[in-house]
Parts: sequence; structure tokens; C-alpha cells
Amino acid sequence: MDSRAAASADLNVRPYDQNSVGARVQPRPSNGTEITTIIGAVLRAMGATFKNLFRKPITVHYPDKQRQYPSRYRGLLALTYDKETGEENCIGCRLCEYVCPPAVIKVEMLKAEKRNYAKTFSLELYACEFCELCVQVCPTDAIVMMKSFDMPTADRREMLLDKDRLHVIGLEYEQSWATGNRLRDMQTPPKAPAPAHAKPAAAPAATPAATPEATGV
Amino acid sequence: MLDVNKITRVEMDWSGPERLQMNMGPQHPSAHGVFRAILGLQGETVVDVDAVIGYLHRCHEKLSETLTYAQYPSIASKTDYVAAMTSEFAYVLAAEEIGKFEVPKRAQYLRVIVAELQRIASHLLWLGTWCMDMGGALGGGATIFLYCIREREDVLDLFESLVGARLLYGFFQVGGTRYDIPDGWAEQCRKTIDRINSRVDEYEQMLEDNAFFLARTQGIGVVSRELAQDVGIAGPLLRGSGVNFDLRKNVPYSSYQDFDFKVPVETAGDCYARYKVRMAEFRQAISIVRQGLDKLPSGPISSRPALKSVAQIRIPKGEAYARVEGPRGEVGSYIVSDGSAKPYRMKWRGASFSNLAILPHIIPGHKVADVVAIMGSVDPVFGEVDR
Amino acid sequence: MSQTLVALPPIVTALISGFIVLNVVIGMVTYVTLLERKFAARMQSRIGPYRVGPHGLLQPIADALKLMMKEDIVPTAADRPVYNLAPIVFLIPCMLIFGSLPFAPGLGVADVNIGILFFLAVSSMEIVGLFMAGWGSNNKYALFSAMRAVNQIISYDLPFIFSALVPVLLAGSLKMSDIAAAQQGSLLKWFIFYPVIGQLAFVMFTVATLAAENRVPFDILEAESELVAGFRVEYSGMKFALIQLGEYAHMIGSSFLGALLFLGAWSGPGPEYLGPLWFLLKAMFVFLLVTWIRWSFVRIRVDQILMLSWKALLPATLMLLIGTAVVVVWRTGGF
Repeated sequence: MDSRAAASADLNVRPYDQNSVGARVQPRPSNGTEITTIIGAVLRAMGATFKNLFRKPITVHYPDKQRQYPSRYRGLLALTYDKETGEENCIGCRLCEYVCPPAVIKVEMLKAEKRNYAKTFSLELYACEFCELCVQVCPTDAIVMMKSFDMPTADRREMLLDKDRLHVIGLEYEQSWATGNRLRDMQTPPKAPAPAHAKPAAAPAATPAATPEATGV
Repeated sequence: MLDVNKITRVEMDWSGPERLQMNMGPQHPSAHGVFRAILGLQGETVVDVDAVIGYLHRCHEKLSETLTYAQYPSIASKTDYVAAMTSEFAYVLAAEEIGKFEVPKRAQYLRVIVAELQRIASHLLWLGTWCMDMGGALGGGATIFLYCIREREDVLDLFESLVGARLLYGFFQVGGTRYDIPDGWAEQCRKTIDRINSRVDEYEQMLEDNAFFLARTQGIGVVSRELAQDVGIAGPLLRGSGVNFDLRKNVPYSSYQDFDFKVPVETAGDCYARYKVRMAEFRQAISIVRQGLDKLPSGPISSRPALKSVAQIRIPKGEAYARVEGPRGEVGSYIVSDGSAKPYRMKWRGASFSNLAILPHIIPGHKVADVVAIMGSVDPVFGEVDR
Repeated sequence: MSQTLVALPPIVTALISGFIVLNVVIGMVTYVTLLERKFAARMQSRIGPYRVGPHGLLQPIADALKLMMKEDIVPTAADRPVYNLAPIVFLIPCMLIFGSLPFAPGLGVADVNIGILFFLAVSSMEIVGLFMAGWGSNNKYALFSAMRAVNQIISYDLPFIFSALVPVLLAGSLKMSDIAAAQQGSLLKWFIFYPVIGQLAFVMFTVATLAAENRVPFDILEAESELVAGFRVEYSGMKFALIQLGEYAHMIGSSFLGALLFLGAWSGPGPEYLGPLWFLLKAMFVFLLVTWIRWSFVRIRVDQILMLSWKALLPATLMLLIGTAVVVVWRTGGF
């Protein structure tokens, strides 16, 4: 008894007041046709599940079969090479490091004559939010996301990706549509009627020649 | 070292009114998250409810002081993670209100479409988990749960084609939205919501005149109109008790006034009324999405230049409170800005946090099994409650 | 074969057949869980166990091995003798009912001439084990579940018995093989096809079985969303396996009883030795019917369950029983 009273005192539980009961359960009025309604409802519910018995299951047999990922899928992160010259795209500008909300990217710049490089580039994938902000700000489309998330591992340290690993991921999987320049093109309001420039996956209605209709919130 | 003699044993004393204190603890299949309800029971009747929250507190409000206006919308989704779009919406609206930024019409319509799709997805999850709570994870409830999840996956596939992510989006940005709709998305969207419309009809039919379901939900958890207005709840809880208040109609934001939809209101105030309100909201949300797709204007999706660096968005000094009608009620964001790239202070008004305040008023008097049904119809998401 | 069996003393034959039946039942229980999981999965647009063995056929074996390897955790403050004995006390009646079931004319462990009475009486004894489990766990959830179990199973035993007595009246004997023999011959002789009375009795028997088995919509005992496995919550490893075994064995036993009472037991087309196969198929039909109901409905609250039993089902079964008696007497020209 004492332990119970002490526990009640700690938790500040109020005593039950007979008059302050919140709600009374209303019993349903019963009439004769209720039986038929009940039986009808029961059979309908069972019929719905029975109908489903013969529908094809929607299971995708992962990992034997993969789902079709859409083109903008935000999967693993990777660093890219330039298509023509084969050079690394990353110039070590550290914009992605600053914009990352959980601060998982760490970059060191390597200065060189014609352009800069990234001396080290580490990305902690186990803490990454996959928000795509780093892709958004990258001026050279260096960091992109892939259309795959396959990185099963038994050791979390394997998910601390260094520069080489990121480049390998970039070559291994299919890239998604979103790169920095494409995203920024999609978002920038057009300054003046401009000639049509290639926007591969932009909406059909957002034609470049359309005047912006900016009205208040 | 555990002292066996001091461990409390359950003592049942039938000579007088005995009270059993049972913990519907943070680890519970139907706690909708991490929520501790200390129930005082007399037999099977609950006479007292003490709610303990805070198990999911992640310091969102402090975190927002360290992240800029460009970074935080991606994080804002994590408060109400089931309806991530509406969570981001409130933050971005508040920032735009302080800075007096205009949002292009196309962006406003996209925001509405996406918010209503999110409402559909959130209500699908609500229906599934509520029926699962009432029917058991190994029983009929799980069947309806899996059907609803199957439909919700279709909506999430739409979001995946639009944004790339399925649960936490980062779609909103101060000044507009971050993504525009790709080719073929509008047709995919129309097909999906047509299918959801017919499937929701099927689920309604499965539940509507089901005597078991009605017995579990009618007359349970009655919230009277006065109580609803006194406690300050919002959303389907409020509209199920007869108060006709919906932010989308009463305080329209983001071009909601251009859309033609009805606000469902029921007067009974019990779980069944809230169920009917949410089922009607399905239909209205589907209609709004259709209207949005039909009337989508062309134009830019953002009135500010594209995000190139982290401190790009600076907002002048000021403060504003912006509110959106989330699936659970009023989600609000109050920002005090000091002219820099980060807010000085940000406060979230979580819809579920205010809605949970109704529990000590309506649960006492019901049986233990009803606690689960009531919690489900209140539909809390603990990311919003604890932030 | 039968000559050698006749030569052995009856106790040895009984032991051997009991042993065989026990093993077959345990094997069937494990595979019935797989059947239920696959069936339920198909109703929910998914596949069910698939990877362990071809189409999941080795899943029950994997589960059994896993349960055998798990640590046996006993709560410190549990009432040890009660706690440890409860699974066994729960299991014994559930296995014992198979002793009285005849699987074919002459094939069975002990076809006593009060077979139905024995079955119904013994199957009601599982409540003792259940309550012991709930009490001995020293856990409020388990205790809740045990209280509800006592309420529910006691309330539903009476309609269960009365609806099972309808075929007894129609056949005129408590002996199970007599009841089965009364349904041999043609399809229409099955008691489920007896005009009005048969169908009503079958429906009530199904409802009462659902409740006596703690199946949704009457599964407030386990009620995962409220009580988190109810009286079983503190059991792990082999003790949990025994409780599961008992539950499913009781389920199958009731399915066999339903098939025997209403669906004609071993009557079916084809030669005589296919009789037990038909019996098995009919029992599986009853089991799948119960499973179908289980995966289609939400559960109802405990006071509503009790209201349903005492105010609706019990008077209905009583009326049905009296009506059956009147009809039987009228039919045999007793008036």
C-alpha cells in the first residue's frame, strides 16, 4: 500500500472524481432489421478480402528484381568525372560542405595552376539526410546522386566514403537526372524572354518564353 | 543489485475500490510513436490518464537557430514526418511573410497540389494504423492496414517521381518550390488519384456498416463543442465536434481561395464522426488535386534566384506566425528574424501537441480497449508533439 | 497388420496409436501455421513466407529451431511453479482432445461412447493453464489478459456446447463415430445441409469456436495493440512454443470437430481409404473459414463480447437446441 501511495504522489495522479467522467458510452439502439444489416455487412467485408485473394500480390522480389526507380531518385552520392576530358569535376570549392544540414561532408582544397581540386573529400553516408542540397549548390555538377541505394554493410565504418569510393560509386550505378545546373535552371525565374534552352525534364507548361506571373501569397 | 524483496507484486484487493495503475508505455504497438500514458484503472474502466511525452524530443527549435533558411526546410519535414509537406509549408510561409517575398502563382498551385496529396497519404496511414490498433496486428486490422499502405505507396511513388524522396522531401524553399513537375507526372497523378478514389470507396464499404467497427467507434471519445473550443484542438478533431473552422477556408493561404472545395463538419463528436470527417476530406483533397492539375498556370516556380550558397536567403528583421491546415490540425511556425541568414528564434506549433491535451478530458470513463481507439482517432504524430 | 495389433494388449495399442497421433498433430500444427500465413498474405496482396525453402515450405521448421534455441527468460518476480507449469497445463488438454477423435471408422486412439462430452469438457480445461500463465507472469498486461480470458471462454463455452449438441441430437448418440456414420451415404446427409437447423447450428458453432479460440474478432486476450500478446507476454523460447502449439492444436481440434459434426467427417467420393484425406480437407476448410474471418474484421471490446454471448448467442443456441429436439421427435413420429 505504501509503495503505491508513494508512486501516486510522484506521478501527480489525480484522484477519480465520480462527477467528472468524460463520456458515457451510448448503447446502440437495437431493432429487428439489425440482424440482416449485420449479416450483410459481415458478408460484404469477407467478400472484400476474398476478392483480394485472387488479385496479384504487389510484392517486388527484391533483391532478385529491382523496382523501376524514377529519374529523379535520390540515392547514393557520388563524385563524377568530366565526360569529355575525363578529369574530376570537383574543384574543392566547399560549397557542399557549408550547405549540408547535418554537416557530413568534409573537403580540403588542393590549389593547382589551371583549376583547383579536392585534396580529400569525405562523406559520412550513415548520417546523410539525402536532402540533395549539396547537389543543388555544386557549381560544376561534381557531386550527384545515383538511382540506387544499395549499400548493405555490416560495419558502419564502411559507410564513411572517401573520394575514391565516391568516384567508384559514380561509375558503378546510374546517375539520376538531378545535377546542380539542372536544378538551378529549373528554379531560376526567367529574366527575359529567352530562346528555348534544353531542359530535359522540366514541365511542359513552364516554357522559357512564358512571362512570370508573380502574385502575392 | 536488484533486491527481489522490494519488487512490487500486483495485489488485487476486491474488498473495496482498488485502482490498478497500468502503463501504456513508450514501447507499445499502438502508441503511435513514443508516448507514455499512465492509466489508472478500476477493473477495465479507465479513471485517470496521465500523459508523459518527450521521448522524441530532438531540439528542433534550437537546431533551427543554427541552420539557415536555405537548409532548414529539409529538416522541417522531420517534425510531422507522416505529412512532411505541410510541416515544411509552415516554416517557409513564415519566412516569406517576414521578408514579404512574393511566390509565383505556379509555385502556389504546386504547393497546394502537393499539400493535398500529402493529406491523402497521411489519412491513408491514419486509417490503416487505426484499424490495425482496433483489430490487432494479426487480424482484420492488418488487412486494412496493408490495403491502405498499398494505396499510400502509390502516392509516395508520385512524390518520388517529383522530388526523388518518399518520406522527407525538402520540396519547399523560401520564394517558391525546389522542383517542378516532370513530363507525364500529371497523367500519372490523375490515374493514381482515380484509383485511390475507387479504393477508398471499397474501404468505406468494408467498414461503414460493419457492426464490429460501429460498435467500437460510435459513442466513443465524445468531444463536445465547448470542450473542443476550450482546449484549443484543431483539424478533424475540431470539425468532428461541430465547429466549422478550416484554415484553408477561413484564413486562406497560397491561393486556396481559387479552389472549390467543401469543408466536412460532423456534429456527433465521437470517433465515428472524426472518421467520417477524414473520409470526406479524402474526397475533397482528390477534387482539389484534380482542379490544381487542370488549372496549373505556367511560369517560374520560384521568385528568388536559385540556391547557390548556404547563406543566400537573408530575411530582414521582423517576426511572423504562419499557419497551415495539416492533416492533423493547425501546424504553425513562428519565426523571429534578426536580419541574418539564420532565424533568431523559431517556434513550432505542433498540431498533435495541442490535440493531445484533449485526452485527459475524454478518456476517463471508457474501457482500456477504447483508449486505443480514441488515440487512433486523435491521430497524433510524435515528431510534432516532441519536436 | 490388424491381426498383430489385436494380439497386443490394448494398452500397448493405445500407447502406439497415441504416440503416432501426437506426432502427426505436432507436425500438422507447424504446417498449419504456414498455411495460415500464406492464406492471410494472399488476402493482403502480399506473398507470405517465400525464401526459406521453396515457397516457404521450410519456414515452420526454421521457426521451430529458432524457438528451441532461444533463451528461456523467467521474470525475477514471477511465481515460479505456476509460471513454469502453465504452458504444460495449457498444452495437455489441447493435445488430449485428439485422443477422442476418430479419423476413419475404427481408426482413432480411443473412440469413447461419450466422445463429444469428453471433447467439450477437456477443451474447456485450457482456461486453467491460461490463467496460470497470466497470473504467474507477475505482469499487469498478462493479468488483464487472464481476467478477460476467464470471462470470455467461460461465456462462450456454453454456446459452443449447445451448438455442438445439435448434431448429437440429430444423430442420436454422443459417440463420434456414430455421428459421422449418420452422415455417410450422400452429400445431403451432412448435417450442415439439414434444413435451417444445420446451417444455423454451423454458423453458431463457428462463432463460438472463434471465441473459444481467441481469434479475431474475439481476440481481446491477445489484442496485440492493447495487451501485447496478453497472457503470453512473458514467455520466451520453448515455453512460448508450447503455448503456441497448444493454441493451434486446439484450433485444429475444433476444426476437426466441426468437420465431423457438420461436414460428414470421412464421407466423400472415392474408395474407403480416402476417408481420412477427406476428413483432413474438410477440417482445413473449417480452419480456413475461421482464418478468413479472422483476417477480415476488427475486434470488439470485452463488454460487447460478453453482451453478444449472454444476450444473443446463448439464448439463440438454447432455442436452436430445443427446436432441434422438437424437430427430431416430430420426424421420428414421436408425437
